Amino acid sequence: MRAAAVDWRLAAPLGIVYLALFAAPLLLLLGISLHADQDLQQWGLDNWTKFWSDAFYRGVVWDTLRLGVAAVLATSLFAWPLAVFFCNASPRTQKILIFIILLPLLTSVVIRTFAWIVILAREGLVNQVVLSLGLSATPLRLLQTETGLILALMQIEMPLMLLPLISVMRGLDPNLLDASRALGAGMWRSFFRVILPLSLPGWIAGATLVFASACTAFISQSVIGGARLVYLPSLIWQQAMVVYDWPFAAVCSVTLLLTVLAGIMMLNWLGRYARTD
Amino acid sequence: MVSRRLFLAGMAGALAAPSIARASGPMTAAIYPGTWDEAYREVVAPLLRQRHNVNVAFEPLFAVDQVAKVRAARGVAPFDCFVLDPGPAAAARQAGLFEPIDPKLITNAGKLPDGMLIADSATVNVQVVGICYNPKKFPEPPKSWADLFRSPYVERLGLTGFQTTFGTVSLIEMAKVFGGSITNVEPIFAKLREVLPKVAAVSTPAALPGLFQQGQIDIMYTNTNNAATLKARGVDIAFVAPSEGAITFATTLHIVKGAENKANAHRYIDVALSAEAQSKLQLSPFNMIPVNKDVQLTPNLDIKSLDELSKMVTHDWNVINPRRAAWIDRFNREITK
Repeated sequence: MRAAAVDWRLAAPLGIVYLALFAAPLLLLLGISLHADQDLQQWGLDNWTKFWSDAFYRGVVWDTLRLGVAAVLATSLFAWPLAVFFCNASPRTQKILIFIILLPLLTSVVIRTFAWIVILAREGLVNQVVLSLGLSATPLRLLQTETGLILALMQIEMPLMLLPLISVMRGLDPNLLDASRALGAGMWRSFFRVILPLSLPGWIAGATLVFASACTAFISQSVIGGARLVYLPSLIWQQAMVVYDWPFAAVCSVTLLLTVLAGIMMLNWLGRYARTD
Repeated sequence: MVSRRLFLAGMAGALAAPSIARASGPMTAAIYPGTWDEAYREVVAPLLRQRHNVNVAFEPLFAVDQVAKVRAARGVAPFDCFVLDPGPAAAARQAGLFEPIDPKLITNAGKLPDGMLIADSATVNVQVVGICYNPKKFPEPPKSWADLFRSPYVERLGLTGFQTTFGTVSLIEMAKVFGGSITNVEPIFAKLREVLPKVAAVSTPAALPGLFQQGQIDIMYTNTNNAATLKARGVDIAFVAPSEGAITFATTLHIVKGAENKANAHRYIDVALSAEAQSKLQLSPFNMIPVNKDVQLTPNLDIKSLDELSKMVTHDWNVINPRRAAWIDRFNREITK
């Protein structure tokens, strides 16, 4: 009990700062979303009903969450093999690899995003290769498609998935893998029965970061996705800064916050389930 | 735990992004980020210091963000001067966010064409909007707004919606070509639905120049500033006024209601309007069309004289503003895959 009391006092300064600068604005946001008119004079659930009764906006929520899931799947697909390779590599190779993995984090997301325009554009890198190899007669359409966006997000978010995964997998006892092999399990079986379950906590941490980050990646979504793919972040910007409909923008914001939070909680729940199993 | 630490590291990175400098001098002016920010720091700020010993601090914000910030401040002016496009300016005027400008304090008032200095607004430069195309890909340029929706142009067209001033007025003009008007943009929506599967890109306005440079699109509607900037970087781009007439609108300076430094704000506006500042602002890479009649126009601007402006198409934003939210929403819905 005593220890808990001391802890509380030590955490108080930061706690108060959080309360003032984080919780209060969130409550304000919630308050704004509960107004019926743009001048914030009348209370009402009108904007909530407007948002949720409209199939278009429900579609935007669904697309946003789907994008997050797709980014998690895409990063996972490449992160696991890379993490396995990393853990088996020599210390020297590991150093080079960690530098390459961290490299994207060292450039601004804006620059990384614009680099993807150069790669995916009609006369970009990918299309030049495809055309010169004769794989297609006309340039492929990659920019402004969901596929292109997921591809770019995969690279942009990769470090967030890879780093937690590697740190957990580095702690695995190499004897476990040897034992699995000695007992007759092949590569795939060892991966699915040994590596995957044991590295799950790292994956969950990574998946949480990638999911939250991809759902809210305003710049990448608008620059690479283009105007034909509407996600919640650009909708919020538009409603708040162009249309000036703050209550509606607040509804979109709270919706984004809650749905992404729900996704994160599901991942957390998965983590608890994985550990007790 | 790992995730928390990583998250914090990521946050630290995000926070290290360039922060906006707060006012250090005796006045603060909002300015558009990018070219405008550079231009005014390089041309207007030194002149203001030299002539009036006033140090101006700039706060880079887009027009809508400026208005949102002053509204949110609810009476406490966060900066002294706005720079606005007609849409946000009309909205800010309706919300009562302007202080009157005293014409006696503007020594360059007489150098401006009629109507450019009014009670609460000073036009500091004009923008001209028309069609930009790649002359290497299209030796025969599109001639009218309607041409944009015909083959072979439509397949290389980059579309943008009602979010920006230039996008909004261009789409209104296209609607007119197909039988609509400033209050009825129905025809352009019908046309968009028809050509959507064919167009090269539908993009946010900020991404358009990049898409043009990368060859993703070869035709777009934009202002002469964008065209001149891309041309200066070696991009194959040419500006053409559609046969229906190019569009023009003013960029205006205003003093924020309750501004702390009203006298300096008047000096700032006066310096920005001076022939010395304007003749530098028209050069590459800024390419801003001047309004001071003493300034000799340079060839990079795609217009020959200020008299041309009077023949161009203009729009009443008091009519546009109340309808724009619905147009933006509709554009979202109809173009979404």
